[in-house]
Amino acid sequence: MVPIETSGLTKYYGDLCAVDHLDLSVGNEIFGLLGPNGSGKTTTVLMLTTLLEPTRGSARICGFDTRDEAQEVRRQLSYVPQEMAVDVKLTGRENVSLFAKLYGIAGRDEAVDRALGMMDLSERADDLVRTYSGGMRRRLELAQALVHEPKVLFLDEPTLGLDVASRRRIWDHIRTLRSRGMTIFVTTHYMDEADASCDRVAILDRGRVVAMDSPAALRARVGKDVISVRVTGSVRGPFPEGIEYLGGRGDGEAVFSTDCGSEKVPLLFRWLEERGVTVRSISVHEPTLDDIFLALVPTREDGYGFDDHKFRTMLRRR
Amino acid sequence: MKEIVYYFERDMLRWLRGRVSVVSALIAPAAWLIFVGLALPTTFSEHYIDFITPGILVMTMLGVSLQGGSLLVFDKILGFLNKFLALPSSRESILFGKILFITTRGLIQATVILVLAWALGASLFSLPVVLLSYGILALFGVLLSAFSTTIALYLSDHDSYAAFNAMVSMPLFFTSSALMPYSVMPPWLSAIAYWNPVSFAIDAIRSLQEGVIAWTRIGALALLALLVVAFCVRKFRRVTI
Repeated sequence: MVPIETSGLTKYYGDLCAVDHLDLSVGNEIFGLLGPNGSGKTTTVLMLTTLLEPTRGSARICGFDTRDEAQEVRRQLSYVPQEMAVDVKLTGRENVSLFAKLYGIAGRDEAVDRALGMMDLSERADDLVRTYSGGMRRRLELAQALVHEPKVLFLDEPTLGLDVASRRRIWDHIRTLRSRGMTIFVTTHYMDEADASCDRVAILDRGRVVAMDSPAALRARVGKDVISVRVTGSVRGPFPEGIEYLGGRGDGEAVFSTDCGSEKVPLLFRWLEERGVTVRSISVHEPTLDDIFLALVPTREDGYGFDDHKFRTMLRRR
Repeated sequence: MKEIVYYFERDMLRWLRGRVSVVSALIAPAAWLIFVGLALPTTFSEHYIDFITPGILVMTMLGVSLQGGSLLVFDKILGFLNKFLALPSSRESILFGKILFITTRGLIQATVILVLAWALGASLFSLPVVLLSYGILALFGVLLSAFSTTIALYLSDHDSYAAFNAMVSMPLFFTSSALMPYSVMPPWLSAIAYWNPVSFAIDAIRSLQEGVIAWTRIGALALLALLVVAFCVRKFRRVTI
């Protein structure tokens, strides 16, 4: 049984297309949905968790249709939204216990203890959540989601607003869950995290999948090395042979890909200086998902055709 | 069905642990009873406290029930509602949990008023009258809290909810029979007041004080509550974000 399967999944808000013919098939893996703000990540998650009706197309969770068998779909999954929604006036245990009760779990107390223990919250379980740190609150949400041992776990930006140590810890937990056979569908815009932990990622741009593969395979697409140059002045092609321009980032950074970075650096440097571009720094590194992203998703300045009004309509209706 | 109790427990615990809100909930209706019941100059009643007590009781339920919709607004803004809607338990249990909590909280406040009214010398309270009054107030609370919670489902922020509340609560109260009997109202007002659901509850409780069970008023209230709850259940079952 395929844990998550969509075919032609489409969502329109008025005439704005938020998700455009999404075809996914997710197995027992950590699947990352990446994309800039407003690219349709959350809309996708809401449709998969039965909270939003697709305009067209369909989605199945463990074989159940999200539209016609919503109740059964909800039995298979847990959903942790972006907002950290835990009751601060209740204790950690009370928060988890509420979900255990709502799921109607047999052997409730043990299940609650187990979920709290799995997230390393046993010691603080009887303290009010008011006294918890951001990382602990997020782990508490995971404990709530795990208490009924779902087959599929949806996490919308699970590490948003957390410090580095807390993020690492959340990802450690997510990987442990995967090793126990759970399917995890996660949205994020932290490329490094997706790179390190996801088995496969899909990059979403304006509702459309522009790439879907394992992080390693995606990185291999760009070439062996990436040269990142910080310049004063504007960079324009055509570029020298064997060097491909991936795109520009803020602060005058231009990113190129090539097959042997260290040898191409002098060439690129001369080429830029000849065109009156002052080079402030050059670095060579292995491609990261960030670079792939830059190559696949044009930034707004690059003629995105960005419609501010539509964008805000979408954010509001997300 | 058990889910209703679980949602109720959650709201109740959160309410009881916010001490300010509990104290305020107990003092506010008392203030109304004392200032309006004892201070307002009246010509149509010698014992205004007897007359005004049902009005204040129903007004408190009205205020509490309409205010109660903001619970769902916050659940929605803070992301709780999304999590609850993604649960396999029935969605209308979210609605019924709110109705149960809001109505219970209203009845607790009504008790404060009843005790105070009795202390201030209101007569005409026998056990059956008090029990039936609770029943009428509960029915009224169910009607209004179902309505306000469902409105909250469709409003995206607390400011809009506060605006809705202000727009609805004051007119409903002042066009009811809470403050004066029909006989002293201008004719246009008494026509409106008669058909105002707030008056259904007030008139029913006043009749009880006179030893009469006003079946038509209670029946109208029950029918309206049934229709509104049925409508709200449909909305909750189908809601998407």
